[in-house]
Amino acid sequence: MTTTDIAPDSVAVDGQQKHTFIERLVTSTSSLSIGKSWINTGLFYLISSSLLGFFLDIVRFDTDRYLIFSNVDTFFQFWSLNRTALVLLALIPIIIGLAMCVVPLQIGANSIIFPRAAAFGFWLWFLGAGITVFGFLADGGFGAPDSGSQQEAVALTLVGLLLVITGICMSVICLLTTIISGRCMGMSLRRIPLFSWTMIVSGTLWILTLPVLAANAVLTYVDLRGRSAIYFGSEDLIWEQISWVFTHPQIYVFVLPLIGIAYDIVPVATKIRQRNHDLVLILSGLFGVIGFGAYAQPFFDTPGTPVREEALYVVTAVLAVPFSLLLLAGVLETLRMGARNLTRHPPAPLVLSLLSLLLLVSGTIVGALRAIEPFELIDTTATTAQMKLTIGAGIVAAVAAMLWWGERIIGKKSKQGFGLIAGALIATGALLSGLTETINGFLGLDDFTKVNFLEKVSSESTAKVFIFFSFIGSFLFFVGSAIFLIVEFLRVRNGSESEVNPWGGHTLEWTEEVVTVSSERPLLDIEEKVGVDDV
Amino acid sequence: MSEMISPPLPSRPRTLVTGAVLGSIASVMFFAGLLAIYFSMRADAIAWGSEWFPEGAIQLVPGGMNMATMSLSVITMAWAVRSVSLNDRIHTYLALGLTALLGVAMINQTVFYLNDIGLPVDYSKASTLLFTIVGAHMIMVAIGVIWSLLLLVRAFGGQDTRRHQDLVSALSIYWYAGVVIYSIIWIGIYIAK
Repeated sequence: MTTTDIAPDSVAVDGQQKHTFIERLVTSTSSLSIGKSWINTGLFYLISSSLLGFFLDIVRFDTDRYLIFSNVDTFFQFWSLNRTALVLLALIPIIIGLAMCVVPLQIGANSIIFPRAAAFGFWLWFLGAGITVFGFLADGGFGAPDSGSQQEAVALTLVGLLLVITGICMSVICLLTTIISGRCMGMSLRRIPLFSWTMIVSGTLWILTLPVLAANAVLTYVDLRGRSAIYFGSEDLIWEQISWVFTHPQIYVFVLPLIGIAYDIVPVATKIRQRNHDLVLILSGLFGVIGFGAYAQPFFDTPGTPVREEALYVVTAVLAVPFSLLLLAGVLETLRMGARNLTRHPPAPLVLSLLSLLLLVSGTIVGALRAIEPFELIDTTATTAQMKLTIGAGIVAAVAAMLWWGERIIGKKSKQGFGLIAGALIATGALLSGLTETINGFLGLDDFTKVNFLEKVSSESTAKVFIFFSFIGSFLFFVGSAIFLIVEFLRVRNGSESEVNPWGGHTLEWTEEVVTVSSERPLLDIEEKVGVDDV
Repeated sequence: MSEMISPPLPSRPRTLVTGAVLGSIASVMFFAGLLAIYFSMRADAIAWGSEWFPEGAIQLVPGGMNMATMSLSVITMAWAVRSVSLNDRIHTYLALGLTALLGVAMINQTVFYLNDIGLPVDYSKASTLLFTIVGAHMIMVAIGVIWSLLLLVRAFGGQDTRRHQDLVSALSIYWYAGVVIYSIIWIGIYIAK
């Protein structure tokens, strides 16, 4: 007699077991889930670094008090941590998170390609970010001007930095592959939405430049580890070797997606077709190209002429101004044509995306002034000013993007008015800090590269006045970031369910249902099932 | 009888190959950064009339042997790609195994040479750069060897068929990038010294 076993029902029940939040968080390979993890962690680091920036400005204003910073070395470590965290732990992660959530939807892909690699990239970055911060807190960081840091902790920071770069590069490769190979048929690269386009440009430049930063970090690590450094690992030289990442021209590459964000938001908000689409593609591409900054390292100084005084450096700095102005003009033209379609209260993302472009233009202008040799601004606080304005532009654009696409990503409405206030505060803070630091640059105040920095600050009474305004700007930046975090938290907790397409968008991310394109004769599917290749 | 006309195949680049190209670009840029620093500092040292490497420290033979090994591995890797596309399992085993073996040989020669060179890492800027660049490349080759061994195991399991040839193609792109980088190291460090 033959007996047949039937699978017990419990198997099916087991398969549908509910996972805990942690299990879902760690094991998820959904692009939305990974993207949200990037955004949430990036927001955490944004708040932390903006608070740190605020404390640093207090110390600069009142140099008699080191507050939590016990000496000039500690102050330098936190100063460099602030820059590193703003760029590598806050801005880039938030942009990657947005891209993870939005780009697959925009190009009609089911999900991110290589989802496990994308998840691995996030966790690698997460681990690296933790190690980097721990390295700074353990008296390491990127060395210290007075050679007072712990060598082992410096090495730990470098390992953390390498993991951060690897995680970012891995995630960007997944994103780029999704756009190149995963977009729906019929959608040429010319037709992809501009946020996805700017992600291609900036992502490509990230994988072209961040490995160079990794090379700097490896070289420093090899020189530093286990022996007294020959050159690369010397404590007072480490920051000089890697600081090219946080200034012109490289800084533009990190905020390039803000152009895509603005150009995706404004035409939809004004219900006007974007004119000169191809020109925008070219201009944003060129803006990315001039942002390639891996060459601007002190290693590449020619005798007698530092690389930051070379023609290429100056020309790209000056070119960034007309490019950013043209990009702003394109948005303004669309806004002018569609002004009649706007209500008395234009959408918050529209206002914020315009503010972000204005900040970017300000950043490029300061960058151009800084590169003009007779002004002698290269080593002054104009460097800080350019960074604050540009990074501020990126953060404001990220706020705009969250208010715009957040309804689709999270599925809940947010308080747009509070979001607008948050973004406006960040923009005002960045602008105030940026302008006052520029003036201080003209007054000859050094960017932090020297041991006697704080003594010099205290002796400059005029500069101190402007440092006070910079301090106010940092405070506004922090308050804006905090309000934005609260807005997003309240959205997740209490937000009402949003419509699928609240803005009347026309690109694929706003479609109500998943579009399935099928062939009348699905030969490919048949081949897969039968295994034609094996026949 | 009417002839069946199949619709055109999608023209999108293959995902694994695209990913491998992007990953290889990132690897190349990592070495480009290191090599640019090396060449820049070397040019400065020569311009100032200082010694870059001590006389006789860098020998051509070990570098040349490594270059020859890597060049041979290009052929075996191309053989692996071809074999997989033809569904020829035996040749796939051989080609992947030989590529991995050549990679191991290259690592072995490099380790021997770095021990034999007589220059400590902290002897000078040049020696620090040499150890960093050659060491990093050795790690790149080691990753390639592990990857090819994994594919070899998959091939034994019958999984590296023509339908899964992208995995081997992706490895080949990475491997070729490694060979290109080594050829620059060979010319820039071993020949030009």
